Amino acid sequence: MTLRAAITKKRFWNIFALIVSTVLVGIAMGQNLTYQQDPGWQPPQAAITRANPLARNADAVGGGRKLFLRECTECHGREGNGRKRAADLVLPQVQKQSDGALFWKITNGNARHGMPSFAKLPELQRWQLVLFLRQLPLSASTAAPMEKE
Amino acid sequence: MKKITRYIFFVMLVALPVLAQESPYFVTYDHHLEQPGNLEIETQSNAGFPRHGEPSYFAPYIELEYGFTTRWTSELYLEGQSRSGDSTVFTGWRLENRFRPLAAEHRINPILYFEYENINEASRIQKETPGHATEFDVPNSESRHIRAHELESKLILSSNVHDWNIAENFIAEKNLSHNEGVEFGYSFGVSRPLGTIASAANCHLCRENFIAGAELFGGLGSTKGFGFHDTTHYFAPALSWQVSNNSSLRFSPAIGLTSKSAAVLLRFGYSYEIRGFKDKIASLFRGAK
Repeated sequence: MTLRAAITKKRFWNIFALIVSTVLVGIAMGQNLTYQQDPGWQPPQAAITRANPLARNADAVGGGRKLFLRECTECHGREGNGRKRAADLVLPQVQKQSDGALFWKITNGNARHGMPSFAKLPELQRWQLVLFLRQLPLSASTAAPMEKE
Repeated sequence: MKKITRYIFFVMLVALPVLAQESPYFVTYDHHLEQPGNLEIETQSNAGFPRHGEPSYFAPYIELEYGFTTRWTSELYLEGQSRSGDSTVFTGWRLENRFRPLAAEHRINPILYFEYENINEASRIQKETPGHATEFDVPNSESRHIRAHELESKLILSSNVHDWNIAENFIAEKNLSHNEGVEFGYSFGVSRPLGTIASAANCHLCRENFIAGAELFGGLGSTKGFGFHDTTHYFAPALSWQVSNNSSLRFSPAIGLTSKSAAVLLRFGYSYEIRGFKDKIASLFRGAK
């Protein structure tokens, strides 16, 4: 390898590292890492234990994604990171909640913190949203932004 | 009949180039408010065909609906009217506010509604028909000079039961310009989406994009004469179609049920929702700094 080729290769790796670190910092800054759960916004026990009727229906995720892009991205962002104004849906304190709890929160909203109720959507569509929310950490870990509809 | 067909054709033509899931109701309100920070621009029209040979009328109106908070939505209406063989007039404006006293979803969800109307007697948008029947044979040149400053309140009760929406509205209206007593009215609506699961594809004609329903509305007289005497009542099947993520189209023919009601009302509406309107406006000012 000539000296010139070695320098070019080194420069390539420097630029590559710079791009990767910029992307990672960007993702970290875009996330609402300061998100704190509202302790007063707790679903009743009966709601928490409800199972998602679409849990075994993998085809329903696509519809959930479409609904997410239409109804949720304005506040939560296309990657669900909350854009510093709403809950970061990728964070463990959100993802560890049961399907039933997330469904209850989508249905009722949280008027104190500006989260509207989505009870206008049919029940199965709200379960589709829950199904898609479970996919968000996968999307975030690959850092691949969802393509524009 | 030819006139009705011509009207439908005209409105379809106007509506075609205009491409939010909207309830199909025109008169009845359910408990779902506008999302905070969103602005919905809606244009609707009401074409009435009276029974006894009085001229038909066309009453278009523009509605600007803004969600201030998750529990407060405000709307401004600007309305007009055109009467067959007569003139076209601006009939006034209305400002309404809807408040949701209970935060979470309940079996029955109440909404409190307050409206101020600065209109004239030529108004024919028939957003509600409280009190006694309207005289259809008064020309615009006379009716436009009769001002009506009105305060209206509604108790809206609405429930979602297995994807069905059932809504009941109870209306009380006071005309501050004339001594008509307090007028009463009602409207009931029921609706359901044709499809309850969302498909992954971005389709326009999927069943999930349509909501079908029906509403029944009318007047109950006033404190000067409560009851069904000399009142109008309508039954109206209704359909809404979510054309795109931001826009929807609605259609509803209403059939007059009493001799004082118009024979038919044809109602069309389309709405365009600007999501994050508040943020968009705020960003304009941030950019100017």
